[in-house]
Amino acid sequence: MIISLQNISKSFGANNVLKNISIAIDKKECVGIIGPNGAGKSTLFKIISGSLFQDGGSIIFNDANIDKLSIEKRSRLGISQSFQSNSLFNEMTVKENIMVACSQSFKVGWELFKSLDKRTNIITKSYEIAEEVGLTEYLDFRSDNLSYGLQRQLEVGLAIANNPSLLLLDEPTAGMSNEETKNIVKMVKKLSTYYTTIIVEHDMDVIYSLTKKIYVLDSGDLIFDGTPNEVKNSKLVQERYIGIKQ
Amino acid sequence: MNAVQYDKKLRLQLFIILCCSAIFVNIFGDYFTRFLLSEIIILSLFAMSLDFLAGRGGMISLGHAMFLGIGAYSTAILFINFNIDPFLCSLLAVVIGLIIGYLIGFIIVKTDGIFFIMITLALGEMFHSWAYTNDFLGGSDGISGILRPKLLGMDLNEPLFFSYYLLILLILVYAFLAAVTDSPLGRNLDAIRQNSGRVLSLGGSVKLYKSASFGISAAIASLAGSLYAQLNGFVSPEISHWTVSGEGLIMIIVGGIGSLSGAILGAVVVHIIQHEFSKLVDWWMLLMGGGFILVVLFLKEGLWGLILKFKNYIIENK
Repeated sequence: MIISLQNISKSFGANNVLKNISIAIDKKECVGIIGPNGAGKSTLFKIISGSLFQDGGSIIFNDANIDKLSIEKRSRLGISQSFQSNSLFNEMTVKENIMVACSQSFKVGWELFKSLDKRTNIITKSYEIAEEVGLTEYLDFRSDNLSYGLQRQLEVGLAIANNPSLLLLDEPTAGMSNEETKNIVKMVKKLSTYYTTIIVEHDMDVIYSLTKKIYVLDSGDLIFDGTPNEVKNSKLVQERYIGIKQ
Repeated sequence: MNAVQYDKKLRLQLFIILCCSAIFVNIFGDYFTRFLLSEIIILSLFAMSLDFLAGRGGMISLGHAMFLGIGAYSTAILFINFNIDPFLCSLLAVVIGLIIGYLIGFIIVKTDGIFFIMITLALGEMFHSWAYTNDFLGGSDGISGILRPKLLGMDLNEPLFFSYYLLILLILVYAFLAAVTDSPLGRNLDAIRQNSGRVLSLGGSVKLYKSASFGISAAIASLAGSLYAQLNGFVSPEISHWTVSGEGLIMIIVGGIGSLSGAILGAVVVHIIQHEFSKLVDWWMLLMGGGFILVVLFLKEGLWGLILKFKNYIIENK
């Protein structure tokens, strides 16, 4: 097991966003988290990544308790995320974006001399990442000049720059055209063979095609978990989530 | 906050042109021209320290003149009270600026935007008030009797040599800042300015990077302060007043924030205009203010933006 969430709860004032959520994920597993808007998916993601802290419960990652670790410390341990809205370095090229991300994993971010584009290890790694996320042709493009779909690919590229043990993908296909969605599904499918992956996604076809196990949240409760087929056939999930979507 | 377009080649080309102009002025200028040149070089060092902080890390300091004061007063005290060689005084002033800057930076870089500006302003004014009322620092009269160094048998009290000495220091600081700007730290500071949350989520030590850059910037401002004290032979609390920081910010905005060479160009233009206009009319500050407003409204990348457009025009019409 790579990560275990034990009785995680979180409230904002009187609003209980998460109620005693327990999830355990094995290495190289690809799981999905689904639920209607306001179910607590994004809050759970933020709690795993460290941008929010839970009120109760604990998180065990690689046999260590990471409850009090900040987002950057969790990232250094190998928890990496892509965001629901693109969070890139817009004044930089694709290559520079990836190189800055790599400078963290190579632990050279504080060094005062020798530029990033003169460091062979960082250049090699950057090209590998660009290839994995299908951006080799766009290395010299400024990230704000990319199409939305390509920006989403770069978003995932930044997330895998530190060789994560756990990859969190928050709605990787949000706002994409069918063609762009196909590309990113293909890419994530390949990545999920190397990395343990948790995906939050609204598009059920995407979730069914990518994941082996799905957790369903509703109003802060974990109401169901099972394989994609079990989720498809669950009356409870049909009533509480998929029914609503249809 | 946006910095100007990142163009290493143009940055170096502009710097070389400015240095050649300085050498020309130094050779053919008189005593007063050389004094003015020395002032401009020192202000350029100060402007570059602000430019590095604002252009790379997105940190606008309205209290950076405090480090000019720290550099100037530490040079004065080390020379007058401890009889230390003036050149060594400048080196020690850099170290003192670096340490104090890093420590202050470590505490204040948690804030950003308007809060960062206000904290730096408050710190700067605290220092200014302290220097103004402190007997050991000479109060409002300041400290006089500071001498310039003697290096390699050359007496730097000779304006021609002192200007060259300052120019060499400017070249060294430029080379250092250009290297840091292109280094992993510089690129990470750029990234922090654009999206600090993302750097954190990638595992970057945002606080460490920002504190380090604040320390570096403070060290350079401190060097400028030390040299200013040696140029004038005395130091007074006015050097650390917030308006000096404001003038430094005007210089980098006029030159183009984040271009490094643009900061030097901004220092040249602003100081010469100040110097010449103040001789012509009493209401020169009105002219300065008007010119600054025009730059902010119509030249968002400052003079650097104009030069860049000119370069692109030449390339397109070749």
